[in-house]
Amino acid sequence: MAVSAAARIEARRVLEPLPLLEGEQDDGTLNKTLLDYIWRKPGRGWLLLVGLGLAGTGLLTLAVVVTVAKGIGTWGNNIPVAWAFGIINFVWWIGIGHAGTLISAILLLFQQKWRTSINRFAEAMTLFAVLQAAMFPVLHTGRPWFAIYWLFPYPSTNRIWPQFKSPLMWDVFAVSTYFITSLLFWYLGLIPDLAALRDSSTSRWMRRIYGVFSFGWRGSARHWHHYKIAYLLLAGLATPLVLSVHTIVSYDFAVSVVPGWHETIFPPYFVAGAVFSGFAMVMTLMVPARRFLRLKHVVTARHLEAMCKIMLTTSLIVGYGYLMEHFLSWYSGNPYDFYQYANRRGILHGPFTSAAHDPYIPIFWLMVTCNVVVPSIFWSRWGRTNVYVMWIASILINVGMWCERFVIVVISLHRDYLPSSWAIYKPTWVDLSLLSGTICLFGLLFLLFLKFLPAVAVQEVKELRHELQQAHERHEIPDFSQEIIHVTELEAGEEDRR
Amino acid sequence: MPSLKLPIVGSPGEQPAPARTQWRSLEERERGLETTGEFPPGASEIGGTSRREFVQLLGASMAFAGAAGCFKQPPEQILPYTRPPEEIVPGRPLHYATASTLGGRATGLLITAFEGRATKVEGNPEHPSSLGATGLFEQASILQLYDPNRGSVLQEKNRPRSWREFLAAQNDRANALRAKDGGAGLRFLLEPGSSPLIGELRERIQKLFPNARFRSYSAVSEDAALRGARLAFGSALETRFDLSKARVIACLEADPLYPWPGSIPAMRAWADKREPGPGMNRLYAVECALSVTGMNADHRLRIRPSQLAPNALALAAKLGAGGGALAPLAALGAKSRLDPKQQRFVDALARDLSRAGRQGVVMAGPRSPALVHALAHAINSSLSSEAVRHQKPLLHDAETGAEGLRELAAEIRAGAVDTLVVTAANPVHTAPYELNLAKALDSVPNSIYRGLYQDETSQRCGWFVPATHPLEDWGDARAHDGTVTFLQPLVQPLFNGIAESQVLAAFLAQGDKSPYALLREHWRSARADAEDAWEKWISDGFIQGSASAAESPQLRVDAVAAAALAARFDAAGPALELNVVPDYRLYDGRFANNVWLQETPDPVTKLTWDNAALLSPKTARELGVQTHDAVDLGLHGPPVHAAVLVVPGHADGAVTVALGYGRAGGEQSAAGVGFDVAPLRRTEAPWGDRGLTLTKLGRRHRLAITQEHWSMEGRDPALDMDLHEYEGHGRERIEEGRVPVATMHTPWDYSKVAYKWGMAIDLARCTGCSACMVACQSENNVPVVGKVNVEKSREMHWLRLDRYFSGSEEDPRATTQPMLCVHCETAPCEYVCPVNATVHSDEGLNEMVYNRCIGTRYCSNNCPYKVRRFNFFNYTYDTGDVEKLRMNPDVTVRSRGVMEKCTYCVQRIERARIDSRVQERPIAEKELQTACQQACPAHAIVFGNLHDRSHEVTKKHADDRHYFVLNDVGTRPRTAYLARVRNPNPELT
Repeated sequence: MAVSAAARIEARRVLEPLPLLEGEQDDGTLNKTLLDYIWRKPGRGWLLLVGLGLAGTGLLTLAVVVTVAKGIGTWGNNIPVAWAFGIINFVWWIGIGHAGTLISAILLLFQQKWRTSINRFAEAMTLFAVLQAAMFPVLHTGRPWFAIYWLFPYPSTNRIWPQFKSPLMWDVFAVSTYFITSLLFWYLGLIPDLAALRDSSTSRWMRRIYGVFSFGWRGSARHWHHYKIAYLLLAGLATPLVLSVHTIVSYDFAVSVVPGWHETIFPPYFVAGAVFSGFAMVMTLMVPARRFLRLKHVVTARHLEAMCKIMLTTSLIVGYGYLMEHFLSWYSGNPYDFYQYANRRGILHGPFTSAAHDPYIPIFWLMVTCNVVVPSIFWSRWGRTNVYVMWIASILINVGMWCERFVIVVISLHRDYLPSSWAIYKPTWVDLSLLSGTICLFGLLFLLFLKFLPAVAVQEVKELRHELQQAHERHEIPDFSQEIIHVTELEAGEEDRR
Repeated sequence: MPSLKLPIVGSPGEQPAPARTQWRSLEERERGLETTGEFPPGASEIGGTSRREFVQLLGASMAFAGAAGCFKQPPEQILPYTRPPEEIVPGRPLHYATASTLGGRATGLLITAFEGRATKVEGNPEHPSSLGATGLFEQASILQLYDPNRGSVLQEKNRPRSWREFLAAQNDRANALRAKDGGAGLRFLLEPGSSPLIGELRERIQKLFPNARFRSYSAVSEDAALRGARLAFGSALETRFDLSKARVIACLEADPLYPWPGSIPAMRAWADKREPGPGMNRLYAVECALSVTGMNADHRLRIRPSQLAPNALALAAKLGAGGGALAPLAALGAKSRLDPKQQRFVDALARDLSRAGRQGVVMAGPRSPALVHALAHAINSSLSSEAVRHQKPLLHDAETGAEGLRELAAEIRAGAVDTLVVTAANPVHTAPYELNLAKALDSVPNSIYRGLYQDETSQRCGWFVPATHPLEDWGDARAHDGTVTFLQPLVQPLFNGIAESQVLAAFLAQGDKSPYALLREHWRSARADAEDAWEKWISDGFIQGSASAAESPQLRVDAVAAAALAARFDAAGPALELNVVPDYRLYDGRFANNVWLQETPDPVTKLTWDNAALLSPKTARELGVQTHDAVDLGLHGPPVHAAVLVVPGHADGAVTVALGYGRAGGEQSAAGVGFDVAPLRRTEAPWGDRGLTLTKLGRRHRLAITQEHWSMEGRDPALDMDLHEYEGHGRERIEEGRVPVATMHTPWDYSKVAYKWGMAIDLARCTGCSACMVACQSENNVPVVGKVNVEKSREMHWLRLDRYFSGSEEDPRATTQPMLCVHCETAPCEYVCPVNATVHSDEGLNEMVYNRCIGTRYCSNNCPYKVRRFNFFNYTYDTGDVEKLRMNPDVTVRSRGVMEKCTYCVQRIERARIDSRVQERPIAEKELQTACQQACPAHAIVFGNLHDRSHEVTKKHADDRHYFVLNDVGTRPRTAYLARVRNPNPELT
């Protein structure tokens, strides 16, 4: 060959994607790195974080008990701002819970191989996020003890059915379907790994526990055959849900007559926003987890870069949504809409308006900064490959997406039609505890997941490795052994692992 | 009912002292605190009924179960008003005529009572002071009746005493006083009254104690009006106004468009002439703080209080310039030194008044100086105004101001007073500061205070006698026109109250007589036809044709001119001026414990649960203060801590404060609300003075204001235009508000039902007085949420009064609009409720199903009018047993977590439906009124069947001025609003 090895590598670096697996891996090394840490004793850092999560969960419990015992009055909600933190948190968490299914199902169907290392992780995150979200629709009602079952269409002696025209009703179906499907999908993918854990367990009790949860998986060809079909079917089922859940959540607003809510652009804009925040949350969790669980060989720079690209794309969609909202508020000629958006931007004039300077304007601009300005760093390759940059950006995106829901829910409501009823909303300690408490509970669940279950779908990674190896043997992709060169270049990472 | 007059503990009878000394805690015992018995006085009275009485009642109700309700009814026969029942039908309310008194004038009322339990106050349609309507004070009086804070135990120096003990003690003492010097040490300080019965008792006491002295006192006195009449006519006369005969009305600090006692006929008459057209009246207001009348005025001149007299003089001078009766005043015009703006206003007003001639009238308010009253009399006389009637003063003591208090305080200091009987409403709180009445009262050897509450005055008096509420009382009083009006009790005194007549009778050795006996005896001797007519009088509530005769006094214009010449008009200096006003909600503080009134927003400022130092925007900027800033106000007495509230339209260089706050009595709800203005008042200048200082404290005091946003933001929910605009393009503007908007909803079909309910609210008639708010609260068991929750915008009023300002900050146009559920045809709330808790009825009501509501609050978000109210907490769980009695049994009491809103008084519709079905006829227009409609003094609200062309509401729905609020949203409301049209003077626009 005329071309030197070094030049080949250089050419590949520019044109080829970064590798999906780093280092020379076989099933043994993958088992060792992806399963064995479960049998290790928990580290001090983990215990500390779990303690923090438990404390936050305690605060959440307190806030929930106070809310149920005393009423929604313990929140800052009022008339006209009858929805506030409860619904903001709900939409935010549901949005975050979008990345998992998108990665698992849609990318599976599109045969995006890079999904394998992060899908388990993202699905778990989805599940825990939807759990947080599911708490709010019930908790935010005035009488949660009735809300739990009056929302379901069951034939009762009262012969009263739910109001099927109400988007809240559709929410119930959408969210519960999504949760169940996500749970099944996640658990199904987990079964072979649970069996692997059972087989490699070091104590009898662990073997029994993992044995029960692995449903007697033996890894026979017949098992694999059924497993693959079921997994694909669930992926097909989950795919429309990715789009439907947030579409329906957006109907909660779009179906109403409130200026700032009544927008036909909402469904795609909400779905894009959900994917945006979901990937941001995966990123926020993945960057430290990958470091501390030593997963850099399976969750490589290529995975992170792909996620950055998705965030950039969805950020552009969301930014386009903002632009269109504001454009249409002018273009439609609707005075209420025009006022609503002008007020968000803080551009108001007229007599008597000085008496009511809107304190929420900075939140709108924070949203624009976090959701549109910050992600543009991903236009640069440096931004997409620097873990620190992307980690901070992902956190800011989550802040921005929370602000977006605040802008939609609170700012729209606090100045709607009749100026006589306009009022300011202020959160109380209960509101803040619910938000921080759900973040802590989410974190706690995640820490437990990292400790007791394989964070990476081991069987899928093994499958991927086999596929890569076979492809290499068929010379379909460049010399597989070349991957090692990359590893030497990324020695710092290797040292970390040691 | 069985006699409840058995000698039992806790009722007026014997009351043994505690047998043993008891102590509440070990700490108390060790500290050697005075032992007072285990519980404070009255603690054993569960909800106003003692334990034994309760058992007695229980037995009685067992015995009488099925025959009648088990509620304490008065033993005497009381007569229902319209439908004399053969027997009480449980669940079916009866209406009794009675009255309430304020400022000595009676307003005739009809009380709705369920099995003897009074639940709702309405106006007596035939009574001249009510015309079927009521003000806030009357509406809220039902809450006061059941107020658990009311004093319930007769006490002497905090020790419980029985009425008999009181009588024995006072009898001995009075006899000794009479024997000594004809009762020279006996003094009475009474609530201003016009009751013929009290008048007779006073005369008899005066005969028995020739040297005793009676005085009346009220913080809201009309002394200046009397002095003005003396100046103008040489005799003290009262003036009342018939605005139905007035075309040009000038109000000089007068506020006739708020339902003060006696104001309702004026409001009605004014509103009747607000239909755009040639017969429309024109209202001018000259005032310092924006008042309800000022908000409704076609022209308003804002002036400092000290400029009122110069303006009045300039007006008289201008009118006198053309000769006539006022000619002697013409030369004094130059003395006024008005600024050009004021001069222009006064000139235009003068020309308008002279054009109106006999249809012009000038009204001076009780707070105006005597000279202004005299000038107003002079102008009215010179115009021979048809709208004015003079009559002899109705009150026993024509003078009710603080001068009498000063004399009394001086007598006490001189040691001349041995026994002082106080029935005036809490004089210690309202008396001007320099009198130091509290200290004076301390030194009276035998002081007796009869009051509803253990307040500031009771703390200073030896004896406390719990007063009866007007709805527990037999009595009489005169209406504003002198018509004799009767009070009959709806219930036996709940809190062992004693009537004022009983207290006075105690000094005639007749204290054991019941108020009923006293009243019967009085009328038996006063009128020959009393025996025959009694039942009619009581069931009517008043004696027809008993109004005072009109006087026609001669104007003494020279005396007025002399007084005007002698008056000193100081140029406005840099110092601030104080302007004191009676409060729109608490009056002089007597309603301070009435949470309905505390939570009703002030009609002008929308302030609840507070009073504030009202400032104009310009003055506030000059002083560097903003709304919510805590300041010290200093004048005469020690500084007063107040909070600033900036109000457009307020006069520059003046500060307005309201009476009635800063209470320090035993009333729980009144405690800690607002600030007491007494240190700012002087006997000579009770309504304001110059030289006020305002010091910024650097702290903030959050005011709970229900409407912070004043602008309509170009949305024009409340259409308000001038007559010439209305006759020009205004009609098109209104029409835009009613063009049908396309909808995707299938229209409801009402062709198969007999009724299609609708409402119309005429903004031209609405003065914004807010009586409808309290009426709605009372009818619909609307809870009170307290200051903290009002600050968080969680007030529960189903009906609110929106108030918008437009134009300049200095001279804004204020527009008020009652806003309540408009019962949309395509209701945005209905389709978003996930559990079908808010649904459309077949007659077009937007109904709320409380049982089904889970409280998602989505309906409220989607309501463009934001008239839905949410129970953020369980606001009713701590309702006491007594308070529960005032609940309307026809309306569900909502619990926590449930949405609620205006129902168009569906319970009244259903009651009318039952009656009409039984009688197999359709519901008549007259028999069905919503609570807000019934209370409205101005008849601004009408309700009825839109299917029936004869109904007023149908006519209003076809009126040229009708439009729908937020019509462009496509909600298709059932409530139409009629645009407000003003009638400005072309010379001034």
